[in-house]
Amino acid sequence: MTALEVRDLVKDYPIRSGLRSSRLRAVDHVSFTLTPGRTVALVGESGSGKSTVAKMIARLEKPTGGAIVATKDDGRPVGDREYRDHVQMVFQDPFASLNPFHTIEHHLARPLRLHGRTKGRTDTRRQVEQLLERVNLTPAHAIAPRRPHELSGGQRQRVAIARALAPGAQVVVADEPVSMLDVSIRLGVLNLLARLQREDRLAVLYITHDLATARHFSDEILVMYRGHVVERGPADDVILTPQHSYTKLLAAAAPNPEERGRSLAEGVGAIDEADLTRMFDHHTKSWHPFEKAAPIAAALANPAGGKQ
Amino acid sequence: MTNLSPLTGSADESAAAAAPVKSASAPPSRGRSGMRALLPSWSPKLVIGLVLVLGITLFAIIGPWLVGDPDAIDSIGMTEPSGEYWLGTTQTGQDVFAQLAHAVRGSLLVGLVVGILATILSALFGIIGGYVGGAVDEGFSLLSNVMLVIPGLPLVIVIAGFVPPQDRGWWTVALVLAITGWAAAARVLRAQTLSLRNRDYVAAARVAGEKRWRIVSVEILPNLLPLLASQFVFAVIAAILAEAGLSFLGLGAANSHTLGTMLYYAQNGFALQYEAWWWFGPPGLMIALFGCGLSLINFSIDEIINPKLRVPKPVAAKGGTPPPVAPPAPVTGAAAQAPPAPARAADGRDVVLSVRDLNVIYQTENPVHAVKDVSITLGRGEILGLAGESGCGKTTLAYAVNRLHRPPAEVASGSVIFHDRDGGDIDLLALDAEELRQFRWAKLSMVFQGAMNSLNPVISIHEQLDDVLTTHKPDMSKQARRERCEEVLRLVRVDPTRLDSFPHELSGGMRQRVMIAMAMLLDPQVMIMDEPTTALDVVVQRGILREIIRLRDELGFAVVFITHDLPMLLELSDRIAVMRAGEVVEYAPAEQIYERPEHPYTRQLLGSFPSLTGERGAFIRTGESSPLTKNEGAPR
Repeated sequence: MTALEVRDLVKDYPIRSGLRSSRLRAVDHVSFTLTPGRTVALVGESGSGKSTVAKMIARLEKPTGGAIVATKDDGRPVGDREYRDHVQMVFQDPFASLNPFHTIEHHLARPLRLHGRTKGRTDTRRQVEQLLERVNLTPAHAIAPRRPHELSGGQRQRVAIARALAPGAQVVVADEPVSMLDVSIRLGVLNLLARLQREDRLAVLYITHDLATARHFSDEILVMYRGHVVERGPADDVILTPQHSYTKLLAAAAPNPEERGRSLAEGVGAIDEADLTRMFDHHTKSWHPFEKAAPIAAALANPAGGKQ
Repeated sequence: MTNLSPLTGSADESAAAAAPVKSASAPPSRGRSGMRALLPSWSPKLVIGLVLVLGITLFAIIGPWLVGDPDAIDSIGMTEPSGEYWLGTTQTGQDVFAQLAHAVRGSLLVGLVVGILATILSALFGIIGGYVGGAVDEGFSLLSNVMLVIPGLPLVIVIAGFVPPQDRGWWTVALVLAITGWAAAARVLRAQTLSLRNRDYVAAARVAGEKRWRIVSVEILPNLLPLLASQFVFAVIAAILAEAGLSFLGLGAANSHTLGTMLYYAQNGFALQYEAWWWFGPPGLMIALFGCGLSLINFSIDEIINPKLRVPKPVAAKGGTPPPVAPPAPVTGAAAQAPPAPARAADGRDVVLSVRDLNVIYQTENPVHAVKDVSITLGRGEILGLAGESGCGKTTLAYAVNRLHRPPAEVASGSVIFHDRDGGDIDLLALDAEELRQFRWAKLSMVFQGAMNSLNPVISIHEQLDDVLTTHKPDMSKQARRERCEEVLRLVRVDPTRLDSFPHELSGGMRQRVMIAMAMLLDPQVMIMDEPTTALDVVVQRGILREIIRLRDELGFAVVFITHDLPMLLELSDRIAVMRAGEVVEYAPAEQIYERPEHPYTRQLLGSFPSLTGERGAFIRTGESSPLTKNEGAPR
């Protein structure tokens, strides 16, 4: 069963420099599916196109090519009008994603009303408080009339998660939901997301640059590099036995105190030339050449910067 | 100036650092809620402005009821102020006070109408153009640009010339002034809308399915209110002045009373020549006072838009709230009494920097004790990790060590001693401004948080590096300076041919390397790095860390590395100090912190980082809120 299918997604951005204009392909033929109750992690560095994928799924950007199809529980496709009920997004920066002018209640009541899920004022208030309690913001009646600046970063991100749940979404796109939070509260927010996912059988797309949380909080990992998916498979397989040289590079670069003294001595390395045109799939345990997508430009294949 | 770019950058940084510290440990203030959050706080400026404006407005409303007909000819002309005529009479024997009351009412009416019309026009064109974008924006921008370049006053003169004087009421003037006066405000509003449009909360409203007009009116417009208010006030001032100017030239509303027409008649009646100050003085003074009052109100509105303009209140003036700590001892005295620092650190290295019982307090309304009794010893060539979360005081500590902290931050007590390579000890807290300037960067340099953005974008890398050398080593030849710049770039593995590049031509990782090169220019003995790799991708970060370790091994400087990323510090540093709420809760060699953390907070921090390759341990997706964070959801 599928909640959302992404097929051959392409996004080009026009670049104008002087009189010349060219295109930057930010996302190049990316395909994957999200299923209820499972998390897919999209891992990659800044500029890899992962946030662009998120924006296209949330309909904040129009795809240049390809299709995004959402499906309901009963197998019928989700129409344009219902799309926002079905697919919601949690943004990266909880300090920017809540309007400083409005109360917490406003942020939750608006989506409830917009999607016709409440009858009358008291019902709205009751549902807002229920949402706040679901994300562990208690006492809800004390939180609801506050403004974002009166809450801590972790509390704000919980409000943002509650807002995504308000329309009754089945698909949640979480774009780096904890990267702006203090480390000691990240785990709590991720676990909250996991609990809500289990309770509501949500399909979650977890976008992150942190391989460790991707491994522990998702079932499947897609590694993106320069707009391409270069490796995909079950979370543990991708992280513990990486095959693509870019994934290996990422895994080696992540701080790992268990190997103190080891990794700093050796070079950062570069990407194999053969890997510029192919993707490894752990499900089939085989390499797949990029079919429609262009190869990764060799000039960009030195992510470490500086001289090697 | 450019050589100071890292230092001037620091001023903002320290102010920024102060904010989270305050919010983390200051007692929770419920804050002003609702629309009141948008009101300016009471300040002398605002009070004086409001008194002036309200007083004059009251006079304009009530005055005309109390005085007689301003056109009535009461006596022989040009009498000086007396009991009967408070402000004397004009040449034709009219009461100046009565005229003034009506004129103020007329001018204020023009100001109000123009203010409202111009604000509506600018909001319409600026906000809608900015939000909708595309062809609409282009069209609106073109229109406002055209309106901007049309010189307002001559246009008004032309229009006024076409309308026969007898039809020229005050509203004609007001309409003309509104049409010529909205464009500049529209451009400001458009720019602000363009920035607001890209905020995440607007994107979130779109994802929620809000309609366009609702996003503009409910999500964007309220955040523009302070700006709109400020522009309204400005439009009122401009309109009153422009109307006075027009009327003075005889192009205004001939048949109505405004301050401008009053001045016009005074001019025609040779008031200056007759030294009839009571005739031209009061209207002039009224314009000046009203403009002054509105400007003062505008200042206060500006402080809402840009809180940086707020002058921090000196604590002494408050009197009622003594700081929670003992009155700060004179810094030099404390330093003199400090016990001599040990010559060697615990692991046998020579000591290069010793910090003893340092206390830093932000002297705000609720003083914040940002650094509490911190003692740290930095060995020569050691990498000391300073770990902690936002608001724990780690950045404040780093700034205080280099005396880069700015008011309201104050070093209350403690000592910072730098043990020079040549054997001399330098008491950092006792240096005067010139000695401090000589010391900084030469012996102790800094790589700032978000350093990639602290390079000046319009000056080449070479000039920025060169500036440091010309400031600190004025007798160095140009050739030698260039060679040194190339040398440090080579040290951080950036191609020296990039020396003449501008910052935007380099990648984020390269810019970071350039910042480290700049910190190394004068061969310092200590480098303080404040989150130098936080904004970088892990692969790039790994390259930079390798560089730092290699350079430390080659050149032997000591590093204080500040970050929240404990796993990175465990790999990188020799010793680690874990900070929480201004205190160092644990200070031990890195292996010990990793293998036998003693303080519960250290254990909590370590537990917050899942292992990449190890067992899942506590990091199974439990879906339960972890015991570490159970308090986090509680209201503050």
